Amino acid sequence: MATSDTSVLETGMKKGGGTFPRSLLSASSLGRYGLLALGAAATFFFFVLPIAKLLLLSVQNEQGFTMSYYFELFRQERFWKVLRHTFVIVLGSTALSMALGIVAAWLMAYTDLKRKKLLNLLIVLAFVLPSYVLTLSWSSFMGTQGLMASFLQLFDAGAKPWSMYSAGGIIFVMGIHHFPLVYLFTLNVLKKIPRDLEWAAKTGGAGKLKTIVRVTLPLSLPGITAGGLLVFLASLDNFGIPAFLGTPVNISVLSTLIYEEIIGFGPSAFARGASLSVLLGVIAIAGTLLQWFTVRKSKATETGRTDDEPRYALGRARAWVGGAMWGVLILITIVPLLSMITLSLRKSYGGKLNWSTLTLDNYRYVLFDNPAIWQAIKNSLVLSSITLVVCLVIGTLFAFYRVRKPSKLNKLAELAISIPYTLPGIVFALSMILVWMEPVPGWNPGIYGTTTILLIAYVCRFLILQIRSGVTAFMQIDASMEEAARVSGAGPWTRWKAILLPLLLPGIVGGGLLVFLTALTELTVSALLYSSGTQTIGVTIFGFEQAGKTLYSTALSSLIVLFIFVGAGLLQLLQKGSARKGGNN
Amino acid sequence: MSIQLHDVGKTFGSYTALRNVDLNIADGEFVAILGPSGCGKTTLLRMLAGFEQPTSGEIRMDGEVVAGASTLVPPEKRRIGMVFQHFALWPHMNIYEHVRFPIRTHKKTPKAIRDNEAARIGQVLELVGLSHLAKRMPHELSGGQKQRVAIARAIAAEPSLLLMDEPLSSLDALLRMNMRREIQSVHRQTGSAIVYVTHDQGEALSMANRIVVMKEGRIEQIGTPQDIYLRPETEFVAQFVSKANLVRGHWDNDLFIPEGSGSSVQWRGAGVAGYFKSNGLYPVRPDQLELGPAREGGLVGQVANVQFQGKEFNYDIVAAGQQWEVVSPVPYKLHDKVSVTIPERELQYA
Repeated sequence: MATSDTSVLETGMKKGGGTFPRSLLSASSLGRYGLLALGAAATFFFFVLPIAKLLLLSVQNEQGFTMSYYFELFRQERFWKVLRHTFVIVLGSTALSMALGIVAAWLMAYTDLKRKKLLNLLIVLAFVLPSYVLTLSWSSFMGTQGLMASFLQLFDAGAKPWSMYSAGGIIFVMGIHHFPLVYLFTLNVLKKIPRDLEWAAKTGGAGKLKTIVRVTLPLSLPGITAGGLLVFLASLDNFGIPAFLGTPVNISVLSTLIYEEIIGFGPSAFARGASLSVLLGVIAIAGTLLQWFTVRKSKATETGRTDDEPRYALGRARAWVGGAMWGVLILITIVPLLSMITLSLRKSYGGKLNWSTLTLDNYRYVLFDNPAIWQAIKNSLVLSSITLVVCLVIGTLFAFYRVRKPSKLNKLAELAISIPYTLPGIVFALSMILVWMEPVPGWNPGIYGTTTILLIAYVCRFLILQIRSGVTAFMQIDASMEEAARVSGAGPWTRWKAILLPLLLPGIVGGGLLVFLTALTELTVSALLYSSGTQTIGVTIFGFEQAGKTLYSTALSSLIVLFIFVGAGLLQLLQKGSARKGGNN
Repeated sequence: MSIQLHDVGKTFGSYTALRNVDLNIADGEFVAILGPSGCGKTTLLRMLAGFEQPTSGEIRMDGEVVAGASTLVPPEKRRIGMVFQHFALWPHMNIYEHVRFPIRTHKKTPKAIRDNEAARIGQVLELVGLSHLAKRMPHELSGGQKQRVAIARAIAAEPSLLLMDEPLSSLDALLRMNMRREIQSVHRQTGSAIVYVTHDQGEALSMANRIVVMKEGRIEQIGTPQDIYLRPETEFVAQFVSKANLVRGHWDNDLFIPEGSGSSVQWRGAGVAGYFKSNGLYPVRPDQLELGPAREGGLVGQVANVQFQGKEFNYDIVAAGQQWEVVSPVPYKLHDKVSVTIPERELQYA
């Protein structure tokens, strides 16, 4: 029925109904086709054209089409070195994420650990924090002035902790930043494996270990693989961690190399950046396709019912397994965060740490003394607020049509809209520069270097996040909810106001908050698109770090952490509030 | 509200959901649309609601064309109430608000109701027996209570047509029987026309004034419950509604001679529909047949399966090369030889 009632819905709107959507959605079929064409054109212009330009630039020079940029790349020793680093770092961190994620998921899904809700929050925290905040935390923690150094010096006065500014450091921070992705994917899959399959194996004579190896593992493999591929993509995309930890010691990966090329402004900087971007984009798209394929495969095996009850009693081991888990989680996120915060409270980088040397001077400087920083904070807040509103409106409306009126056209549109988020941020940012310098031949809108281009980039990149949470929210609302309102006499306007919005709100606000926080702390895209006066928070922290002003960068990062905690708290309150109002009917 | 459907058809792409449907529904009538899943009954109901537009033909309500290939009055502009299969209660509203919603929202709510909103809500909640639960949220209700809320909401603005889409199918067996009574009482008290979609012939037979049996998008037969049950006109109605055996044999004017009985057995059948006569069939329900000790000259069969049902037995009897279902209070064992007859009292309508 879902496919059939929508055509009527639309005709119903045409016939009359409320005053608001009539003019907006379908005054006449001419208007409707016009709107459709406009939507298709906008989708093409904002989401497809940039990639096309990027591709084109990488194979074109003054003489016409050429592959010379690629051949030149392949001849460079540096390119192969970067490629090698990229693969070592991406594969290494993916392996670390998978090991941590699978173990955590198995413990959380199947055992009778206590306080799972809190543990879950603590696990996810590593991913919620922007990668450069986690990086700064770890570099403060492991730095010569950090907590680790003080700890080691208790045993040996000359001891120095292992340096985070190395390939190993990048792999490590990336691994812990991304392991929650594997965890979430695997947890979901594990909980959906029917318990009776394990019972069946046991009645068939298989022991505990054999059951895990022969039943649980094969069934969860597609889910684990999909989670692993997602981490692979995220690591490929990540710019913050290698930029903070690799660049100072001359370790580049593809994403930072593209950045360096563009910032370096050589004669053919854009063309070389474009060809590198195409290579990175191709790898990312191949990974995405593979991931999409494995997710589809894993969907075929799942029964759909999640089973939250523990399956293995840890018995006496529960205390120390739980303790170890808390210990590790606190060590990888909370302790480094505290280390960063204490660093930000110091008078000087080399100074001794005691109560008298603690100061809020760094915060005062960041917030009040330096107008450029204040401007950056304002920029980020304004940009992320507008991005939030635009995504909320467009994303929710699009999700409505995608769910209630599915068609090949809007499926295609969703695919196009997901391109900017699928591509590594640096690749997308470069494509934005290329397209907005001269969107149509002979027209330069003059927005390159302004906040407008940042806004367009943010909306294009994060719109898909809002659409996904909107789609999930709409799928949970049965079409009969709306139909019941229609037979009660409610026109489109009343249906949205009285039925859809109240039911959607928790879902889309959650999605909106994600968009807001992601945009607020964005670094990769901003790093390529900002210019003086349009810095963002992420770019400012990056700048401080490059200039060696660690106290300021840690202070600003600590403010972000505060902001995230407040935001997460608000979301929690909202969800509690709506849960009290009643669950499903 | 009187409703006329004239030659209504509906296609979804290459799939034809309804073809050539002609149906008149009188004001205040209780019509059940009965058929297996996929027969088009839900499409027909959604068309009456205004959720679907016919691809051909037209629907009139009180003489006005509300739907045709080029026109469609949307649901919110029709004076209808609807009860959905899975209740479709709004999780964020309490019961009182559910009942109030159509009264406030519907543009065609009678003025007397709109002006006395609280009294009307009280009256409707009283009717479905939920006055004491007015402040409850949907998730705090049992299945039966949810369905009562759905009914209360549907009738609150006094619609002239009440549509019900398998309203009892999500309830358990005992509750279903009680809710039948409630729905009958709602029908008596509101006096509005009801169109009730179901696949359960028991519900249709027990409540409706008229039954429309559908199959593969077509109407098979329209008639009173007695008509449908006692005098089926097609093979499908005979089997789907009355679970009848279709006995093979040949007709001699109004007399039927079953296959394999010699010519000693003759069943009267003046009222049997023409379809069966021209196809050499005689529809006979399991409860019409009587089993007795095997004797010469009649139809003799063998018990192929027995199921004890409490007050009676369900038998599969193999006789004259056909398998028949028979319901009988007399106990027989597997492989017993029995005679199969239709007693005189059962033939009086035939």
